[in-house]
Amino acid sequence: MEKSLKNLFIQKNMTTVNTTWHHIRRSPIQSFTALILMIFSFVLISAFLVVSSGLAKVLDYFETKPEITIFIKDNLDASIIENTKQDLSNYSGIKEVKYISKEKALEIYKQQNKDNPMLTEMVTANILPASFEVTVSDASVLEKIYQNYATKTDVVDEIIYQKDVISSLLDWTKIIRKSGLTITIIVILISFFSVSSIIGMKTTNRKDEIKISRLLGASNFYVKKPFLVEGLFYGFFGSLVGTLFVFITVIVFRQSINSFFNPVDFITNDFGLYGIALAVEIIFGCLIGLLASLIGVKRYIKF
Amino acid sequence: MKIVFDKVDKNFGPIAALKGISFTVDQGDFIFIVGPSGAGKSTILKLILNQIKPSFGQITIDDIDLAFGKKDSIDHIRRQIGVIFQDYQLIMDKSVEENIALSLDIISFPKDKVASKIDEVIKQVNLNNRRFLFPSQLSGGELQRAALARALAIEPKVILADEPTGNLDAENSWNLVKLLKDINQKSNTTIIMTTHNQEIVDSLGKRCIEVKDGEILKKSIHSKKHDHS
Repeated sequence: MEKSLKNLFIQKNMTTVNTTWHHIRRSPIQSFTALILMIFSFVLISAFLVVSSGLAKVLDYFETKPEITIFIKDNLDASIIENTKQDLSNYSGIKEVKYISKEKALEIYKQQNKDNPMLTEMVTANILPASFEVTVSDASVLEKIYQNYATKTDVVDEIIYQKDVISSLLDWTKIIRKSGLTITIIVILISFFSVSSIIGMKTTNRKDEIKISRLLGASNFYVKKPFLVEGLFYGFFGSLVGTLFVFITVIVFRQSINSFFNPVDFITNDFGLYGIALAVEIIFGCLIGLLASLIGVKRYIKF
Repeated sequence: MKIVFDKVDKNFGPIAALKGISFTVDQGDFIFIVGPSGAGKSTILKLILNQIKPSFGQITIDDIDLAFGKKDSIDHIRRQIGVIFQDYQLIMDKSVEENIALSLDIISFPKDKVASKIDEVIKQVNLNNRRFLFPSQLSGGELQRAALARALAIEPKVILADEPTGNLDAENSWNLVKLLKDINQKSNTTIIMTTHNQEIVDSLGKRCIEVKDGEILKKSIHSKKHDHS
């Protein structure tokens, strides 16, 4: 029993992971700094992912809404309505022209206000206008439709044109994406070079051990291995902790965030997607850690 | 393992540490390298280990030229050489046992046999009650024995011992020399040992290379004057 325990102790002591753990414990402040930098980077990456995906949904929501709504006057002949629909469909770059009758408008109104019966009980189809909802694939046609139909006062009652809302949202999305991406890249680079320098310093601190191991016949890879595993450790745990922190936070506050962006589900409910994102970020983290340590070790182990 | 020095010079800047050294060591030889301090004894061992490279001349081990050998070949040669360094070269934050385990790990010694091998060599050098201590907790003699245990553990073809009796008392010195002699005889391990101790050299009657000012003064076989075995 005593012998087998001793065997286990010695075998355990000879593993690369154990040597790596020994290195980490020997310089705890450096190790802690490297890990914190990695965690911080992945908090930013994950936050950027969550915000980007939410913004994409917000944009998608607005883009799939009718981009121009033309309310028509009451009591128009069916032929005029049909001709107008045909005319709208003939513009190039039109995705869909949808006619919303008074009855359909009432249905939509009731659906939108189902929680407030006071608002629905006095309303009839007669007081709601019929309309055309036009969605386009080419935004430039919107202006043309607006200009043409604004003058058709015998048919048109009012035109609602969301161009400004969408273009402003698009601009903001672009700015947020660009600045988020830039900050994330800068932070990744900072943590990459910091981990690389920390591993380099650790290599220098252990140069005697490396020298002795080399004289005993250890290959270059043998002496580098614990440092590479250390980089991998920072990458793995940094990405795991950072990503989980952000994902758990957004899941906890999902309802409040989503109610703010209502009706858009800014934070997804798809837990499979979180799993995939976590796996991808962990792989990315391991790659960063491994590459950073490889560069750090290469800089100092030259023999 | 055949070691051949062919007209080897080693210069450290303007200082010539070795001048035209030539000798051959065959497998199973026991050789003393003697000479005063600064004669170049340790330099010879460092050259065999390829820790430093010759300035001129050629050193071959099993027909591999150390100056031009591939890294893998040099590593392979080193894994067959057990070294007892003059300054021990033990890893300071590893215990005696862990230092030995490291050398076994480097030669890919079967993991299930590591513990018994450590037991064996620790007993051989009589360090059983010091096995869990760190080098900073050991005396000079104990460090010497720990270094010897590490060298023996890998069952080397060659043992290079740089002044291994330097920090030992007379009794331990004789015990160590006796141990090396036994290993040499039983397992045909080549022993190359540098020493100042003329008494030990004379008593064993082994081949001796006398070095002074970087040159070989004479190669001889000393006759036994004492018998301590």
